[in-house]
Amino acid sequence: MAILEVEHIQKSFDRTEVLKDISFSLEEGQVVSIIGSSGSGKTTLLRCLNFLEKPDKGIIRVKGETLFDADDPSTCQESGIRKKRLHFGLVFQNFNLFPQYTALENVMLAKELLAKEQPDYKSRKKEIHEEIESLAVDLLTQMGLSDRMSNYPHQLSGGQCQRVAIARALALQPDILCFDEPTSALDPELTGEVLKVIKELADKKTTMIIVTHEMAFARDVANQVIFMDDGHILEQGDPIEVMEHPKEERTRQFLSRFNQE
Amino acid sequence: MDLILEQMPIVVNALNVGFIQTLKLFFVTLIGALPLGLIISFGSMSRFKPLSYVTKFFVWIIRGTPLMIQLLIVYYFPGLVLHNPIWGGGETGRFLAASTAFVINYACYFSEIYRGGIQGVPVGQEEAGLVLGMTKSQIFFKVTLLQMIKRIVPPISNEIITLVKDTSLARIIALQEIIWAGQAFMKGSQGISGAIWPLFFTAVYYLIWNGILTVLLGRLEKKLDYFR
Repeated sequence: MAILEVEHIQKSFDRTEVLKDISFSLEEGQVVSIIGSSGSGKTTLLRCLNFLEKPDKGIIRVKGETLFDADDPSTCQESGIRKKRLHFGLVFQNFNLFPQYTALENVMLAKELLAKEQPDYKSRKKEIHEEIESLAVDLLTQMGLSDRMSNYPHQLSGGQCQRVAIARALALQPDILCFDEPTSALDPELTGEVLKVIKELADKKTTMIIVTHEMAFARDVANQVIFMDDGHILEQGDPIEVMEHPKEERTRQFLSRFNQE
Repeated sequence: MDLILEQMPIVVNALNVGFIQTLKLFFVTLIGALPLGLIISFGSMSRFKPLSYVTKFFVWIIRGTPLMIQLLIVYYFPGLVLHNPIWGGGETGRFLAASTAFVINYACYFSEIYRGGIQGVPVGQEEAGLVLGMTKSQIFFKVTLLQMIKRIVPPISNEIITLVKDTSLARIIALQEIIWAGQAFMKGSQGISGAIWPLFFTAVYYLIWNGILTVLLGRLEKKLDYFR
């Protein structure tokens, strides 16, 4: 069974329809790359999955549980949204690290705040804190940042910041990790180190949705590619199939512009 | 010169008394205006349009007119126009009236600084918190508040330095602050009359106090320097 099912999502801002009937599904341990030109709705789709935007229509289901159904008011309540967000992680284009915390504290903060809601928090306070810290240390080490844990974001390069942001998202063990153009704010040299850690996550069967303009990466890392255009999914399927033998003229046009560069 | 040295102890004593009143007005204004300013800034940022318009109109009036006139209106309007002298005639009444005018005036200036500070924190900070399952209040207290404080410390410091000197405006309603105390020696007080130097000498008090504040506020700014 698919870990994520998205059915007929629609979203408008004022009178602009940004998402027009988006449906797709994703298997556990698989990676989907979403490509398409700016303004095609890729970022809005990720924001809907993370409940930063509320879809006007459609259903979002994770592991068979309906998290959101526009026709069922009980799933749209503000109060439940916070817990539902935890099914998803989101890595932003411009990192959005918390500047007043060190790399390690950035990774630990949300997890510590969540731990306070556990019933046994008071009695196991120290133990829980140590567990979270060792998890955060492991994640940062995995990201190649073992010597950067006590640095503040402004002391880190863009690539290091983005790797901290990835560790921060992983710390909450989301079912599905989303990336919104994770390398668009980085120069080519730093892009490589971030793509490398994402590739490693893919090799470890992390379920991921990656919005990216890195075409070669999108093809190599993904089990499935979605091409979005003007709020629609124009084409989706096997990466080689979509990117090397596109069926639609629009897809061909889009890809040829990238191949020229 | 000898004469001045002879007058010095008497003058310094009188100026000290006046300066205590100045400091009282200074601290009461800060204690009242810092939180009130935050409330006003929430009003002007409110999504409920009528509230936001009314608040902005009020801030425009207060920032657009001289504090001296506001002092006169607050002090005299109830008694002379409404025939209801709520402040009474004594020094306590004058102090309450002056404090009221100063708190309102400074709260309006602070509110605009807060607004800039709050709106200056990137939306991405809140979104990052939301995506990590944090509540709105956790995001405010653990993420945005400190970033906002860092942004507002320099402009607030500026206003605080100005406030020290603005307290002298309370002289217009005869509050017995340090300017009033210095001026008394021109008309004649405690055997000294026609002396203008005590009035000039008050400047030293302002200068020293502002020196101390500059150092303290500079330290606070430095303390927040560890992140950007």
